Amino acid sequence: MRRRARVLLIGEVTGVGRSKVQAYFELRDGEGAVPCAIWLDDLEKAGLPDGALRDGAEVVIAGGPDYYPGGGQASPSFSFRATHVRLAGEGDLLARLEALRKQLQAEGLFELQRQLARPLLPKTIGVVTAETGAARRDLLAGLERRGWRGTVVWAFAPVQDRHAAPAIAAAIQGLAAQPQVEAIVVTRGGGSLADLWAFCDETLCRTVAMLRVPVISAVGHERDSTLIDDVAAVACSTPTHAAEAAVPLDCVAARGSLERGIGSLRRAAEAAVAARTPHLVSLARGPARALHREQLALNQKTREIRAASERGIAERLGFQRRLATVVLERARRRAAGPDMERRREALHRAAVALRAHQPERTLERGYALVEAGDGEPVTTVGAAVAAGRVRLRFADGNVGARIEERE
Amino acid sequence: MTEKPDSYEVAVERLEQIIDRLDSGQAGLRETLDLCGEGRELVTYCAAELDAVGEGLKELKLDELAAKLSSSAEAGTA
Repeated sequence: MRRRARVLLIGEVTGVGRSKVQAYFELRDGEGAVPCAIWLDDLEKAGLPDGALRDGAEVVIAGGPDYYPGGGQASPSFSFRATHVRLAGEGDLLARLEALRKQLQAEGLFELQRQLARPLLPKTIGVVTAETGAARRDLLAGLERRGWRGTVVWAFAPVQDRHAAPAIAAAIQGLAAQPQVEAIVVTRGGGSLADLWAFCDETLCRTVAMLRVPVISAVGHERDSTLIDDVAAVACSTPTHAAEAAVPLDCVAARGSLERGIGSLRRAAEAAVAARTPHLVSLARGPARALHREQLALNQKTREIRAASERGIAERLGFQRRLATVVLERARRRAAGPDMERRREALHRAAVALRAHQPERTLERGYALVEAGDGEPVTTVGAAVAAGRVRLRFADGNVGARIEERE
Repeated sequence: MTEKPDSYEVAVERLEQIIDRLDSGQAGLRETLDLCGEGRELVTYCAAELDAVGEGLKELKLDELAAKLSSSAEAGTA
């Protein structure tokens, strides 16, 4: 029975279960169901995304009828032995997309475009889109809103049929070949994954990844994820966002900012001049004021010098006078001083000597002085006889005496 | 300023530097006047870049652009 022809079955998976070696499920359609089993080895080889074999999944399986004879504890049963399985419909597309995505990522193709520098203000951008469609209109409106005044180069291409992918790739390459094109937008409106499938084309995505001009993708709506989004420099959810990504600078705001910049420059220049004007004016007045100040200072000095010289003269005069006095005094002293001393000493000595010779001193010792009537001392016998009458002067008084005879 | 900036980004960055410097109030008179002169040239450059074409957004088809380029190349070689 296992040698019977192999067939493909399509249906919805229900009642998934697993043993150590197999996965079991029923494949159901509107007519009924068939029990199926697949060895885990074969399931792994199918490369389905994790959890893809689940209740409700649409799958295509390949295989043939199988019979299990049962045993002591198990009942015999017929089943469909699947050797291959893949997701059907959109699930199938998603699985293939996932596989391709992993492959391109592994090759590093997701990074190339993201490393490109995108100009803030491109002058020319290229756009690949359908000639008729909302995407074209939305993109233009977005660029207008940005206040951008550059050039859009359109490269129209079909965006949905089986010729779409090569045509889009050719359009992108044609734009990239123009040296003035600084960024390329690839855009179309939303749709089913099958509608957008052209933008998951491997050749197209490889082409985009290798371009040196940044590519901005805006394919489908936010929930749609195509492979071109992964390889592009920027992935946007709408054509309007793509316009903003293609021209990162908001030109309207930038013009306002430039006007403010002009204002700042003007104010800075005016302020710089205004701040320095008073100082400049004061500097301009400076020489006259300085001259006046110097004049005043000079006058003051003159007065001070005059006063000082007058004071100096008076002081000098006084000083000279004092000096003359001292000199004269010294000279006088020099001239008279020693003589006076000598005289004074001589006088003293004379006084002492005189005192020693005073008659009173002799009288005190017991002598008596003989004086004539006129007070003259009588010092000889003859004088005494001649005088006849004399006065004897003692220390304590005088007495009169008469000379009687010569002996 | 004697050299034309490489790009709008470069010009705007330099312009911001200039305005920061002027706002700091640390620039002397000579420097301030020089910076203002350079700033005005940068603003003029940036404004021209913003109005690159001057007549609003222009649309061309790729074929027209390619034809224009090839005709101007021929004119150049002729």
